[in-house]
Amino acid sequence: MPKKVAAFVLSFFWMITMLQAAFKKEDIKVFHLDNGLKIILYEDHKMPNISYFTFFKVGSRCERPGLTGVSHFIEHMMFNGTEKFRPGEFDRLMEFSGGANNAYTGDDFTAYTDWFPANALEKIVELEADRMQGLLFDPEVLESERGVVASERRMSVENDNEAIIYENVRSTAIMAHPYHWDVIGWMSDILGWRPDEIKQYYQTYYAPNNAVLVVVGDFEATRLLELIKKYYGHISVQPPAPPVITVEPPQLGRKEVIIRKEAQTPSFLLAYHAPACSDSDFFALSILEKPLLQGESSRLYRRLVRDEQLAISVSGGCEEKIDPFLFMIEVKPRPDADLTRIEKIVDEELAKIVEQGLTESEYEKALNIVRSDFYFSLQTNSGKANMLGAMEMLYGSFDRLFTIMDSYLQTKREDIPDIAKKYFNELNKTAGYLVPEGGQP
Amino acid sequence: MNRFLTIIITLFLLCPVLVFSSERLPRPQKITLDNGLVVYYYQNPELPLVSFRLLIKGAGSAFEPAGLDGLANFTSDMLLKGTSSMTAEQIAEALDFMGARLNFTSSEEYASAGGECLSQFLPRLLQIASDCLTSPAFKEEEYKKELAKKIDTLKAVKDNPAQALRQYFKKAYFGQHPFGHILLGTDSSLEKMSLPQLKKFHAERFRPDNSIMAVVGDVKQNELINILKTTIGRWPKPGTPAPQASVPPLPSLHGQKLVLIDKPDATQSYFALGSPGYAQNDRLAVVASMMNTLWGGRFTSWLNTELRIKRGLTYGAGSSFQSWKTGGLFMASSYTKNDKIGEMLDITFDLLKRARDKGFSPEEVESARNYIVGQFPQSLETNGSKASAYLRLVYYDLGLDYYDRYLAEIDAVRQEDIKQAAVKLLPDKDYTLVIIGKASEIKKLLEKFGRWEEKKITDPDF
Repeated sequence: MPKKVAAFVLSFFWMITMLQAAFKKEDIKVFHLDNGLKIILYEDHKMPNISYFTFFKVGSRCERPGLTGVSHFIEHMMFNGTEKFRPGEFDRLMEFSGGANNAYTGDDFTAYTDWFPANALEKIVELEADRMQGLLFDPEVLESERGVVASERRMSVENDNEAIIYENVRSTAIMAHPYHWDVIGWMSDILGWRPDEIKQYYQTYYAPNNAVLVVVGDFEATRLLELIKKYYGHISVQPPAPPVITVEPPQLGRKEVIIRKEAQTPSFLLAYHAPACSDSDFFALSILEKPLLQGESSRLYRRLVRDEQLAISVSGGCEEKIDPFLFMIEVKPRPDADLTRIEKIVDEELAKIVEQGLTESEYEKALNIVRSDFYFSLQTNSGKANMLGAMEMLYGSFDRLFTIMDSYLQTKREDIPDIAKKYFNELNKTAGYLVPEGGQP
Repeated sequence: MNRFLTIIITLFLLCPVLVFSSERLPRPQKITLDNGLVVYYYQNPELPLVSFRLLIKGAGSAFEPAGLDGLANFTSDMLLKGTSSMTAEQIAEALDFMGARLNFTSSEEYASAGGECLSQFLPRLLQIASDCLTSPAFKEEEYKKELAKKIDTLKAVKDNPAQALRQYFKKAYFGQHPFGHILLGTDSSLEKMSLPQLKKFHAERFRPDNSIMAVVGDVKQNELINILKTTIGRWPKPGTPAPQASVPPLPSLHGQKLVLIDKPDATQSYFALGSPGYAQNDRLAVVASMMNTLWGGRFTSWLNTELRIKRGLTYGAGSSFQSWKTGGLFMASSYTKNDKIGEMLDITFDLLKRARDKGFSPEEVESARNYIVGQFPQSLETNGSKASAYLRLVYYDLGLDYYDRYLAEIDAVRQEDIKQAAVKLLPDKDYTLVIIGKASEIKKLLEKFGRWEEKKITDPDF
């Protein structure tokens, strides 16, 4: 082909790409099956692949003592066989078809994430529909998987000082609400869940009326919907899951955890009770966290890492959660740093925000960070599917994705001191120190 | 809690291999600047974002003088710590203000820079990046702060067995070869390091005529050229010829090297097993990546199936190949409770033997083929991954048409080829095996594997 013609074809292709490119609410199609399954579809034909994400409104927030960690355990069991596809078949067929998958469990929801070539679509729809209701819970497999999760807890919590202090601070700060425990659950619960309780939990929460399906990529919506009806249509509705009714009572005074153990460096974590993501205060805290502790230009980095050289790094902030959670300030101290001094500096910096708020430039910076993080998260099919699904789970509707930037823009700089004052005070604080054995806090 | 973290990490390690297998990487435009810097460019207007990557040949850790582990990375770190026109704080402030990302780092063979931002901020981002590259201030005060941070980081690494394992393995495997240099530095190298050494390394090795760049995202070509001309295009080309950038051949192994690191508070034992792999431009790359996919490179691989899925010994187990210009490395790793480490190693060695003796079934071969081809497009989905892919293809002389050839080759791989790759590449008698765990509990279980060299995690260096 002559080069000029090729160039023309190329630019024509670009135009098509550009037309398809903008990610708009209008291009998202929403359907409901009679059994309550909600389906969100966004076609994008740039590459011959599909991201197929299933979200369930279940997480450690739905658990109770004795069953902590069971949401995460069921996530593991979802890969361990059904009546139709025996243990191991899900992953074998998925990978044989060229697909890969992962899954994650959080406090509020659980997501199953598949990405695969377009020609594997029907197989994936079949596999996902099947495990929405037909899990086998083979006793031998269940016990083996229990071992895997126990090992995961040993690795990700018990062998990691940062995780130890996190779990302790979190469960000290949150007394009553199920956010008290972390997603992994307590070791004695992991070792003790009864198979019948696990099955009952699965049946309650893994129901079409408690799930949202988000598909992004190279498919044709009408055909996909037919496939979804074919494979999911017969799955029966379950009674609605019980609501979470416990409300965390206000904290009445400073709390403190001091852990002494073998370590080369100390750990330091502060937590303040913070609002749910649906609360307008949430956006103010999410804005102020950026100039406070994100990046090397942040106030806490400058003081603790650069100027006073007490720390290696600073991180934290608030997280989007259905119920009120925590605003965390995590400092990785230098080996011999005085932890009480670190806490005093954090107090001083928070007091400045409570008194004077943010500068105009800090406020503008926070909004730039929000905007660029937002676009970075939408770069891939999987990124889009994940964001659409998370919005459904946290805010009840995917279209929140297209208005969430407005919530940030509507937060006025002048309001930040008053909002900060509500949360950053001594009564609302939990401090955690991990001190290397023999050292001084 | 993610279902499997280790496998994701393994896939990242595989990227240099996987990246070469899709027909979907669009051909970039090539722009040569007056100072000799070659820039590969592709316009992607989907989102208002741009990414760039820059690779500086001969500025990696392999070119550090012996005993100065971490010099290359330290030099890269200092680039963000002040220039002739901006202080470290001003740089951090400017980047944070834009919500932009900019980093300088080094690997064994080269140093690299990477950045991304909202398109509107591209001129400013490239101005800062070019300032950092061309006129770093190397201030004594900043150097001391970074040095103190690095010394502390080494301590933190030793608290994290998975991270520490990688460093110990590198030293044990590569020995005196320059690939054994620890990017983070070591206790003794940081003691010997000085600011003039960093300045010298930068002056000699950071040069436009030894660099390649890629820019992908929402920027028009003429705009980009204008921005490049006034920023990185002003990076002066030195009058002296570029220093040598080749690395000696990788060590070949004879017999077993066994190293046990005692971490008395560890409740789990971590192992890394390694042996020679293949170079980037080796014809074996295609068949080796299929073989590794089946043996330890994905969730249903033999290794993960036996250690995690069937026995619940661990949360994750995997293997990967890493390749450079002059050779490569095969590595398998996992971890388990202290009392299970012997069983875990027995199974791992059995699986290596089984693959070498029996190979893989026709169905498995088809599965690996589908998997690599099916997963490929996503590995090039973002602006940043496309930019990195351009640089890898160019740096390793693979040609921008590599993908098309690669796909054809994947199609042609036969069952017998994969078995031959297993025989050639999976370790039998010659390997390095490093374990971190509680020695008092695991020593007995390890005796049968041979003589172990023992170290304490609290001993200096790795």
